[in-house]
Amino acid sequence: MGGRAPNPPAHGLGTTIPTTPQPALRMRGISKRFPGTLALDAVDFEAAAGTIHGLLGENGAGKSTLLKILAGDYQASEGTIEIAGEPVTIASPRDAREHGIGIVYQELSLLPNLTVAENISLGIEPTVGGRIDASLLKRRARETLASIGVAAVDPERKVGELSLAERQLVEIARLLTIRQPRVLVFDEPTTALNHHDVLRFFSIMARLRDDGVAVIFVSHRYREVLEICDECTVLRNGRRVGHVQRGEASLERLVALTLGQRGEAAFSRAWRAEEDAETVLEVEGMAVGSRIHDVHFSVRRGEIVSLCGLLGMGQTEIARALIGDGDRVAGSVRIAAADGLPRTAREALRRGLGLIPEDRQAEGLFPDMSVRSNVSISSLARIVVAPFVRAIEFARERALVQGVAERAGIAPRVLGRPMRTLSGGNQQKALFARWLLRGTRLLVCIEPTRGVDVGAKIEIYRQLEALARDGAGVLVVSTDLPEVLGLSDRVLVVYRGTITEELDPRGTGEQRLLLAMQGGAVGEKVGLVETEVVG
Amino acid sequence: MAVEARAAAAAGAAQTPLERLRPFAEAFGTLAVAGLLLLAFGLTSSVFLEAANLRNILVQITVVAVAAIGETIVMLAGGLDLSVGANVLFGSVVAADLAVRQSLPLWFAIPVGIAASAGIGLLNGVVSAVIGIEPILATLGTFLVAAGLAKIILHSSWIVVDSSFFADFVQTKVFWQLPVMVIAMLGLYAAASLLMRATPFGRSIYAIGGNPAAARIAGLPTTRVRIAAFALAGAFAGMAGVLQIGQLGIVSSGNTTGLEFQAITAALIGGLSVSAGGVGRVERTLLGAVIVGMIANYQTIRGVPPNYQQALLGGILLLAILVDRLIRGRA
Repeated sequence: MGGRAPNPPAHGLGTTIPTTPQPALRMRGISKRFPGTLALDAVDFEAAAGTIHGLLGENGAGKSTLLKILAGDYQASEGTIEIAGEPVTIASPRDAREHGIGIVYQELSLLPNLTVAENISLGIEPTVGGRIDASLLKRRARETLASIGVAAVDPERKVGELSLAERQLVEIARLLTIRQPRVLVFDEPTTALNHHDVLRFFSIMARLRDDGVAVIFVSHRYREVLEICDECTVLRNGRRVGHVQRGEASLERLVALTLGQRGEAAFSRAWRAEEDAETVLEVEGMAVGSRIHDVHFSVRRGEIVSLCGLLGMGQTEIARALIGDGDRVAGSVRIAAADGLPRTAREALRRGLGLIPEDRQAEGLFPDMSVRSNVSISSLARIVVAPFVRAIEFARERALVQGVAERAGIAPRVLGRPMRTLSGGNQQKALFARWLLRGTRLLVCIEPTRGVDVGAKIEIYRQLEALARDGAGVLVVSTDLPEVLGLSDRVLVVYRGTITEELDPRGTGEQRLLLAMQGGAVGEKVGLVETEVVG
Repeated sequence: MAVEARAAAAAGAAQTPLERLRPFAEAFGTLAVAGLLLLAFGLTSSVFLEAANLRNILVQITVVAVAAIGETIVMLAGGLDLSVGANVLFGSVVAADLAVRQSLPLWFAIPVGIAASAGIGLLNGVVSAVIGIEPILATLGTFLVAAGLAKIILHSSWIVVDSSFFADFVQTKVFWQLPVMVIAMLGLYAAASLLMRATPFGRSIYAIGGNPAAARIAGLPTTRVRIAAFALAGAFAGMAGVLQIGQLGIVSSGNTTGLEFQAITAALIGGLSVSAGGVGRVERTLLGAVIVGMIANYQTIRGVPPNYQQALLGGILLLAILVDRLIRGRA
């Protein structure tokens, strides 16, 4: 790919239609204030009919807020919205629909137990004499699906049986059936799709564009943006920081616009592992299903290693496969000098592995149990009177938990309270304390600081470093760039299901890292992506 | 993201009066209700507060209360056991058949009866935890199995148990004029309370009921604990069956009609939830059973016909669930 001049657009997707003088959507000076924050600061955004417009920015840059204003979920504090030149007020999702605005979210709104045809016409079912006209229902579904070039989805199948990609297509067909939209927003539609489905998705976006729809494509995958978009707008900290036309865009340019110039890393390490420390985790040739392949890496005692990739690139699957949560896992894994992949979480634990899951509430916490019980739950064998007297010795439990709670920075007075009463940061610390008490050899943390305030973040970094210092290996999965660079000894970049690069965070900037996550190299002239022939 | 976090924090700070009431309601709610009922019934009936009547209430509730221990453990683990009633019958039938019809010694007949019920519980556990069938469906199936087996053994008849050992359950008073079976009930509650509070098994039950996915990640043997919870519930049902032999002196298939719902009602009034496990205490189920017993007893004293009693009890159950929802904010 590298070094090529911008190619002529592949499969005819890139033909730029001249921008009409009156854009389909014009948002002017949009500001949105939340108590204590300015989420959007006088943002201008225009999308022309018959174009595909990329909307880019980091998490928290303001993309979602802008979309929610467009969808009628939020009201702008200031600013105006025009649709096809007419000023409009979008006070509710219903208004948005009436103005021809359609949004396809990642979380689809289909009913799994109904058929494709029933979903597509939900709420607008054609009737004959008071009963649903089943044949018209099916014909309508088939026609709408055909209009976006989808013939492979059977209207009579239940939506619950479809793949995610197919469900997205049904969702689009449903939007089109309700009313031909003028503005259609796709919110990170490709995150969970494989390459083949991404290309199919692109051809649908192109078709909609050719029908004169203003298509807005929200994505963190800049290669895809470059491939499909006619222009794009970049947000950063609630401001519009760039608007780039197709010809001017490159991976490096988009990365630079997204990140801007930032100061120091989030955290600076006080201690590092010795170079020759023993290996606690060795992964060779790991494959998970069809999405993850040829993964090789290792983690040494005292090391903090990050798996870093855009959402959906496979880093989470790699980490979860280690605790026995992978489907069809192949390859060899060595944990603390013992061969073989744990098949269950329990086995993983016995082998010295601990997991801090990405969703604390769903997989980490016992909300109604005390903080103390939450900490000791993985070390019950340590707090019983004797191995054959399985009664809990409360005094020992108190003492042990108090010890690790102090190390984890949890105030002793909260230990007796129900877990649900703690802040996100303190809950996360309690999960660390759980593994401190158990004494893990390898701690796998997935997005350890998500939903945690800045102060607590730094403390969690200290925890991880302390854990490493005690001799554990730490594997972090994170998409937070400053975190990855400040915290890690080594950064492994995951792209399309495998590790593509290893970076030393010392001397690596955020832009360099994000570029690698986008699958790009320094100096590469990317106006377009390599085109792959799909069978 | 920062915005959302702040919004969540703000929501946490602004507690409604009901939410602030929650910790107290959880700790003392059931006790307060029991106290209020005792007061109200005592003030409006001259016989209700007589020692003999109060003792009578305790004897009346014993079988349901012991079966409700197992029900509580299963519900704490996030399940539901519809088979307890039939399983009480099954245990009592097996024990009575061995003791009376086969003339085998009691030291053999009673443990085998309890073990038979535990076996049904084990089946519940395997079907729901290993095969993955919803507990409510699995136990509906075993409910029929246990009831059917009991009737097969009974041969459409009944067994009169004429044994001084069983008669002593009611007749022998230990202290405060309380008969053996009431003391046995209190002892079983004390044991179950310790088991749930002070053992790794009890902790695991609460954890699995509170958040099964987190329990798995925390390394708990979730399948094993679930099976054990059901098997234990079966054993308690068997013990309730043995106590029932003592209480009634006769084993017949009508003995346990509706018992599972009484046990579930006791647990629910004691503060457990059908939709989510992990919250509640065994000893509060005893209070729940006492409340149910007091209401039934008061109605009998007042001469309310039995059919009305059942409808009223159902209404009270609905009320208890409604109040619980309001306080806990669970929809």
